[in-house]
Amino acid sequence: MTKHSLLSNLPAKRRLDATSLARVAIFAAIVAVMGMPGGFAVAGGVSITLQTLGVMIAGAVLGPRLGALSMTVLMALVAIGLPLLAGGRGGIGVFFGPSAGYLVGWILGAFVIGLVVHAGGRKPVLWRTLVGMLLGGILVIYAVGVPVQSMVTRLPLGETAVLSLAFIPGDLIKAVTAALIVMTLVRAYPRAFNRVWATKKTPVLEPAK
Amino acid sequence: MLTLYKPGSGWLHRMPAGPKLLLVLSVVLGVSLLPSHWFSAGLAAAVGILGYAVAGLGPGLHGIKELGRQVFAIRWVIVITVVSQLIFMGPEPAVANAARVTAAIVLAALLALTTRVTALLDAIEAGLRPLERLGLDPQRIALLLTVTISTIPVLGRRASEVRDAQWARGARNNPRTFVVPFLIVALKHADELGDALTARGVR
Repeated sequence: MTKHSLLSNLPAKRRLDATSLARVAIFAAIVAVMGMPGGFAVAGGVSITLQTLGVMIAGAVLGPRLGALSMTVLMALVAIGLPLLAGGRGGIGVFFGPSAGYLVGWILGAFVIGLVVHAGGRKPVLWRTLVGMLLGGILVIYAVGVPVQSMVTRLPLGETAVLSLAFIPGDLIKAVTAALIVMTLVRAYPRAFNRVWATKKTPVLEPAK
Repeated sequence: MLTLYKPGSGWLHRMPAGPKLLLVLSVVLGVSLLPSHWFSAGLAAAVGILGYAVAGLGPGLHGIKELGRQVFAIRWVIVITVVSQLIFMGPEPAVANAARVTAAIVLAALLALTTRVTALLDAIEAGLRPLERLGLDPQRIALLLTVTISTIPVLGRRASEVRDAQWARGARNNPRTFVVPFLIVALKHADELGDALTARGVR
């Protein structure tokens, strides 16, 4: 299903209701807030932003379509000049810079994470959530980001990929952290997911004779 | 809400948001597509300086000072581009590509510097109106963007409340202990926001 039908004003198609709209807006805001000063830990003088952690959680909590929509909303706000990216970056310029592809990758990444985490409409389990984070949160984001970075800076693809390796360890830590956080939410605040999970059939007890 | 906008009354400030967006995008795209030669480094730098000089950002050298601030803000992008390209490709592509990328980013910043966010939101809504036939609802998109903008400062305050509460209990600055409570606070806010929107007739 495309985003067009999601935002449809035609009654026959599925449209964005008030609850979904609020959740999409909140997650775009969560990722923005995670990029603000004080929102990240500083290790060895290099600040590690929590924004990609937010992207991973958004996909896992909202599901594929709403997760991708909320990242699209964030990118639209960045494009019209709000300084919402880590370090106060913003404006249409970031989409002409080396990190443009990674940002667009957030949208696709959130979508893939949502697909994997909620595969088959089942309740998230740790291994599937972790696979989703690694696939959508790292592989997909780099798969979009590295070629675009290579295109923008005109550094060949191989060398660009080598450069981007520097961020892999941090992203691995974030993927594991995000998976653990999502599992905590599943146990502590299942309302967050706003959906009914398919349950295993419980064996019906034979009435006592 | 903090934005990148700087008030002014130059011709770029007064230009309607839609045409200005197209103008800035075409200049930025032109600079981005320059070949990786020495002359494009000079050309990109010239276009960048010219852009800030003629944009009417303020009296005298105000525009050039703003250009300095913008270049300083992306100094790490410049350093990483130059260094990586020097290592892998040599001086000519390093200088040309760094100048090209820098010029594109700072020229694009002219849009946010000279246009209010509300004007751009209106331009987006107007620009999406032809897509209404495809089933897209421009008003709902504008509502979604506006609601998000007004939510960010609220969540920013909630985040610092959560952080203060944890500091008061002696917790260190640890992402995991911060993120879970913050998410729950934020998601509860989402429920309230959804109810408030429903109560105001958004279905």
